[in-house]
Amino acid sequence: MSRLTAHWHQMISNACFGLLPAIPYAPTDDAACQGVAINAHNLAVAPAPGSPLAFSGANFEIPCGCRTALIGANGSGKSTLLRALAGLTPIASGEVKVLGAKPSLGRSRIAYLAQKPSFNQDAPLLLRRLVQMGTYSHHGWFEECEHGDEAVDRALSRLGLLELSERSVHTLSGGQLQRGLLARATVQGAELLLLDEPFAALDQTSREIVESFLFNPDNSFTVVMATHDPADSQRFDRILELKNGQLTTVHACAGHTHRHA
Amino acid sequence: MHVPDTLTAMLNLLLAPLSEDFFLRAVIAILLCGVTAACLGTYIIVRRMAFISTALTHSILPGVVGAALLGLSLYLGALVAALLTAAGVAWLSNRKGSSEDSAIGVMLSVMFALGIALMSVSRAWRDFTGLLFGSIVSVGTEDLVMIAITSLVVLLALRVLHKELELGSFDEEYAYLIGARPQLLRAVLLILIACAAVTCVRLVGALLTTALFVIPAATGIRLGKTLAQVMAWSTGCAITGGLAGLYLSYYVAGMPSGAAIVLCCATPYFLVRARKNS
Repeated sequence: MSRLTAHWHQMISNACFGLLPAIPYAPTDDAACQGVAINAHNLAVAPAPGSPLAFSGANFEIPCGCRTALIGANGSGKSTLLRALAGLTPIASGEVKVLGAKPSLGRSRIAYLAQKPSFNQDAPLLLRRLVQMGTYSHHGWFEECEHGDEAVDRALSRLGLLELSERSVHTLSGGQLQRGLLARATVQGAELLLLDEPFAALDQTSREIVESFLFNPDNSFTVVMATHDPADSQRFDRILELKNGQLTTVHACAGHTHRHA
Repeated sequence: MHVPDTLTAMLNLLLAPLSEDFFLRAVIAILLCGVTAACLGTYIIVRRMAFISTALTHSILPGVVGAALLGLSLYLGALVAALLTAAGVAWLSNRKGSSEDSAIGVMLSVMFALGIALMSVSRAWRDFTGLLFGSIVSVGTEDLVMIAITSLVVLLALRVLHKELELGSFDEEYAYLIGARPQLLRAVLLILIACAAVTCVRLVGALLTTALFVIPAATGIRLGKTLAQVMAWSTGCAITGGLAGLYLSYYVAGMPSGAAIVLCCATPYFLVRARKNS
């Protein structure tokens, strides 16, 4: 029965989805981040338009390739800062440049993972397709993408998801889903990862996989990660603390490159 | 009883009505609308837009009545009314302190009441029940051409926008981040629903059109694992249910076609829900 439906489905998808020419998937390698990834002057952001400011007067700089921790108590504005850097929340005043441009112009170069995925979780979607969505930003309107398979496979295996790739998204655990979203960011070719407490939903296995992925010196991306756990802090190159509406740089490494072996 | 005899008898039951022109037209209309409604319905279910599709289909009523009074094309009137509703919902829900839910509820009842008022005041409208409950057997060749064109446009739009609509349905925030403009996609989807709803009103009527969108897709989403599979299953359910309903109304005296179609579409839904125990 299932073979029959699979055959039928294959026929229908070939008929419907092969009409337009496919365009090869090519992530942008030439625009790699160099120098300063994020630069903020006197930045003030409110969580929603009209509400009180989460913080103000923030000055900081994050070099490319730097792993940065963003610490602070609940409600101190960590999420708001990350959303502002992703271009999801408008800034109230001040100036911020992400990868040399306004945050909302970052497009495929920035990946943002919310604390709770905003994701419609009962949607009919296989994990492979979710990860493949990372290639969408490299396609124009009206183009179907049934390609980029190698990049998808590579990202899946790096995050230990290869055997789950044909599973429906709603059958995955929170940690597996979080890893899937990271894999999507990899396929997308993001140079800057903005992660909002990515370890909150993870079990030990997922956490180890994600940590070794994020802190792998071969990965050239820049990471800004909100975290609660003080034990995490030692692994980072740079620590920003949000407290009482002020942002301070607690610890900054000298070099621009990642120093962990 | 001989098996071949039973088979021939059954075949006769199925084939005999096809020799009548009105029945053949009805079958073609069901095939076209079934595919369109099921594919669009998949997005409606995935995006949890069942309520707004109900509002759009109900709001067609004043448009059709108004167009008939003015002597204009019924399709044009219906389309304008549906677009007005969509615009009204968007405008109301963008204002502070008004949720989309209540905006839809208000627009739905306002437009439907307007339609009823127009119908009663003008007294010029004879085919009340046909408009409210559908009359698939009265589908003419002209209607059929209109249905075919609309279906083609809607399906083509769904095909070329597949990637964008899929992304917008699953993860609006991500769509926004990579610059795919989810609000625009939502508006496009609403317009497509309005277009398709106009054609479906002929089949099952303004009150039941939403059933054609929602029920097959709600069945399909239980059976398919990807969007394309869900669409395939929904199309199957819509066409089977539609045809079964058509035959039911043909053979059972006094059975209205619209209600029969909706009831037959709903049968697989309840079966699936019961079987999957979900």
